[in-house]
Amino acid sequence: MGYQSVVKELKELLDLKGNPVAVKLVESLDEIPAGYQKMDEKKRHCEFVQDARLKGFKGYATGEEHLCKGGAGVMGIEPLPEPVANGNMYYKLGNFQTPEGALETVQAIPKLEQKYTASLYSPLESAEFEPDVVVLLINPKQALRISQAYLNKKGGRIASDYSGIQSLCADAVAAVKERGIPNMTLGCNGSRKFAEVADEEVIIGIPPENLADIVEALKTFQEKWK
Amino acid sequence: MKKIKARGINIPHSTIMVENIIKNGRDDGLIITLTKGAEADLPVLAKKYGLNLEKEESEKEIVIRMSKKEIKELDVTGETCPGPIIIVGDQLNCMETGDRLKVKSNKAETIEDIAVSLPEMGAKVIEHGPADDKYFLVMEKVEKDVSNSALSADAVKRDKVLVVQSNGIGNAEKAYATFIFAKAALSMGKEVTVFLLMDGVSIAPKGNAATVKHPAFERMDKLMAEAVEGGAKIYVCELSAEFRGIKAENLADGCKLAGAATYVTLLSDPSYAVVNF
Repeated sequence: MGYQSVVKELKELLDLKGNPVAVKLVESLDEIPAGYQKMDEKKRHCEFVQDARLKGFKGYATGEEHLCKGGAGVMGIEPLPEPVANGNMYYKLGNFQTPEGALETVQAIPKLEQKYTASLYSPLESAEFEPDVVVLLINPKQALRISQAYLNKKGGRIASDYSGIQSLCADAVAAVKERGIPNMTLGCNGSRKFAEVADEEVIIGIPPENLADIVEALKTFQEKWK
Repeated sequence: MKKIKARGINIPHSTIMVENIIKNGRDDGLIITLTKGAEADLPVLAKKYGLNLEKEESEKEIVIRMSKKEIKELDVTGETCPGPIIIVGDQLNCMETGDRLKVKSNKAETIEDIAVSLPEMGAKVIEHGPADDKYFLVMEKVEKDVSNSALSADAVKRDKVLVVQSNGIGNAEKAYATFIFAKAALSMGKEVTVFLLMDGVSIAPKGNAATVKHPAFERMDKLMAEAVEGGAKIYVCELSAEFRGIKAENLADGCKLAGAATYVTLLSDPSYAVVNF
């Protein structure tokens, strides 16, 4: 969808490991481009992102293929399981001292009210669809450059929010799709363990329409900050 | 307008986030749900970007509307029923979700009638009461949410109206009421079917409706044509027409002969609310 040159420059400018990942949520399977198959293995959303990033995998996942029902839930693909929605699961896992703290947190987690049938994944440079969000897994210095580049045109500050649970799904996709601005998140226990997000990596979800300006700013920085 | 839920984010981060959302293309307006207190600095932001700011508080959260749009105002003073509801319905059809409308009237009952109808028309009451020498109502267009209509798996939403007319042009008030009521229901987004039977079929032949005229209302054939244009179907009972020598080729535009099966089917359909004139 015309992101090849932007991705090529982004990879070179930031020396990215792997691909920026295009993620789209579809209401109907009719929206899935030809050639995209259903994921042949049940996995978590964060694993699908990593597969697209590191292995170049493309495909889509319905509720059935999503192993992490919390992730599928915040992206509107399935109803949130009750123990996730009321915080009990995270309370029992030890994330919070009290059920009230757990509930307060899960109620604040970004979740899409719109219902979707599937999530669609591809490396951005070869995506045959217009993504809702572009997900980057990067190190803190690369995240610094992205943040500086985002502010380069209009200035201001960046406020990212996360809670250490439901990271690549709620923070990096649902929040970014709903708000239309980037959000940085530090992963969650699931994505660090199952999707093997590395200790030195953070995650940023970016609206695709911001990418061109970010790349232009990065080119300016490269020139000025030699 | 874009709706965003961002509970659990406090100042100054809530302010930074909202400013970035505005800068990133939402300067035409947004509706954002925040934890109470997180909105403290937003009036300054609204002023900076020239936006109107309105607050709506509930027990735990606060909904902030930041918009460039002024609220449109309609004064329906002097309009007789169902004029106000038709005017409001037409206006709501042109509005987007989240847009607001202020309606004024010199009659409290007119405002009350509109307020009662809003849920069915895809809007909700924001504020109402007396102001100066009139009464007012501020409404907001909302998504028609099936989950809010208390539907169970066994319940059926009655979103269609069947107007049964059996008196005809001999009773002008009931004849007028048939099409005035049909137009009001259409403006509320209902699907409307008129069924003429018994003496009611006297309305159907070309030219007959034009003989009915009350000084305070439009000639009835015009109301009938407006209802048809608005999407109302008009069925004419075949038996009653036959009984009175009325032929299909003599029916006014929009009227169609229908048999008992059609009538029974309509009456048996639980999605229809039935009214008799």
